[in-house]
Amino acid sequence: MALLQVKNVYKSFSDKNVLKDVSFSVESGRIVGLLGKNGTGKSTLIKLINDLLTIDKGEILINGEKVGVKTKNIVSYLPERTYLDKSMTVKKAIDYFSDFYEDFDKVLAEKLLNDLKLDINQKLSKMSKGMQEKVQLVLVLSRKAELYILDEPLGGVDPATRDYILDTILKNFNIGASVLISTHLISDIERILDDVIFIDDGKIVLTCPSDELRKKENASIDEIFRRMFRC
Amino acid sequence: MLAKLLKHELKYMLKFLSIFYSLAIVFALLTRIFLSIENSFVFNIIGEICSGATIAMIANTIINNIVRYWVRFRQTMYGDESYLTHTLPITKGTLYSSKMLAGLITMLISVIVIAISVFIAYYSQANMEMLKTIFNTVGVALDVSVSTLIIVMALTLFLQYSCLLQNGFTGIILGHKMHGGKIGFSFLFGCIVYSLWQMLGLLSLFITGLFNKDILDMFTTNNIASIDGLKTIFTVICVYYALAVIINFILNIKLIKKGINVE
Repeated sequence: MALLQVKNVYKSFSDKNVLKDVSFSVESGRIVGLLGKNGTGKSTLIKLINDLLTIDKGEILINGEKVGVKTKNIVSYLPERTYLDKSMTVKKAIDYFSDFYEDFDKVLAEKLLNDLKLDINQKLSKMSKGMQEKVQLVLVLSRKAELYILDEPLGGVDPATRDYILDTILKNFNIGASVLISTHLISDIERILDDVIFIDDGKIVLTCPSDELRKKENASIDEIFRRMFRC
Repeated sequence: MLAKLLKHELKYMLKFLSIFYSLAIVFALLTRIFLSIENSFVFNIIGEICSGATIAMIANTIINNIVRYWVRFRQTMYGDESYLTHTLPITKGTLYSSKMLAGLITMLISVIVIAISVFIAYYSQANMEMLKTIFNTVGVALDVSVSTLIIVMALTLFLQYSCLLQNGFTGIILGHKMHGGKIGFSFLFGCIVYSLWQMLGLLSLFITGLFNKDILDMFTTNNIASIDGLKTIFTVICVYYALAVIINFILNIKLIKKGINVE
């Protein structure tokens, strides 16, 4: 059974159909890239998986369960925006995660923060947006989850830190767990991807193992994407 | 999980409210000190200013106790922080209960702080005698003991506060369900919901009046209800608000359970 199953999902806002009959699945132990241009429905899809939006039609199953308390226990989600209470210190944010997630590894979080030279006693409000995003990423990766969902994890991060973050993802995500990464920074991320899902105008246009796609098209994922979605 | 949520919610709210608590007590102390200095026009003026500041801080404590919760509710349910709130492994019922419970606990703390501030600033033998006389007079008029009177008053205020807090939550939920993130609609729906509950309260009194001439007279004549009539009104109001709080609580949880669409 696939870890994540998205079956014929539809979502619209007012009159605009954002997702149209979206179906795909993510197997355990895979790193999957959800790739698409801005405004093609990537974040909406991720929000639906995380119970932040209601589905108009269709079904989403995680480990065979509908989205709910059980699935939230095994999904570690990094949204595209800063979502922590800014009046907290980093230490307080760690305590918060540790309180609510049984699989949260406090020691790992402190190690990763140290690697990124982030002060644990600093208030989030005193940090730059990029630093806050790094703190969030550390918190999310410090869980021993079964499915990590990262929405634009590199968006606000400087290029020098991107490699560190990708290596951190590779090194730290739970063995046997899956990672779903949504991004438009394909060249940065493609080296770690096992599978790719291309989304355009609210529809899945391609699902394929990345090596197979590279071989077939004799090009990098980034080049294939550019070719496919040229304006 | 409820205890953990409650802990974090209270920590957050008390961080803000403690500022007003401290200021209310400090101004109450200053009022006491300056008003106790006799034969000094200047100190008397400063004392009166401090007295005004104490009352302002007390009012601020009450207003913040409600408004802050509404703002916090909006932030954590629909704003940026909702991305964390709704991905925590907790049920929507637990989430909502924690917000209501935190509101009631801080209201209780606020009432205690207000009582302490008033006591510090205005305690005197004469004032205590005056308060006792007022309560005794009302108690005798209503034919109830002073303690019963205080309990009924506290209960009515507590239920009113719970109702108001929840009406605000309902307004925010409905505003977001129907018009996305527009805060004006949340405010409008809050006002409508509050007015509806008040009108239903009046209606339930009117229905009681169909079986009690004293109460019906209040709607149809200029007569004031008799003592028995007033007692019935108090009972109906307390029962009505208790039911309103419970029904509103269940309705809000049902609305949230139907799903949230964050901004």
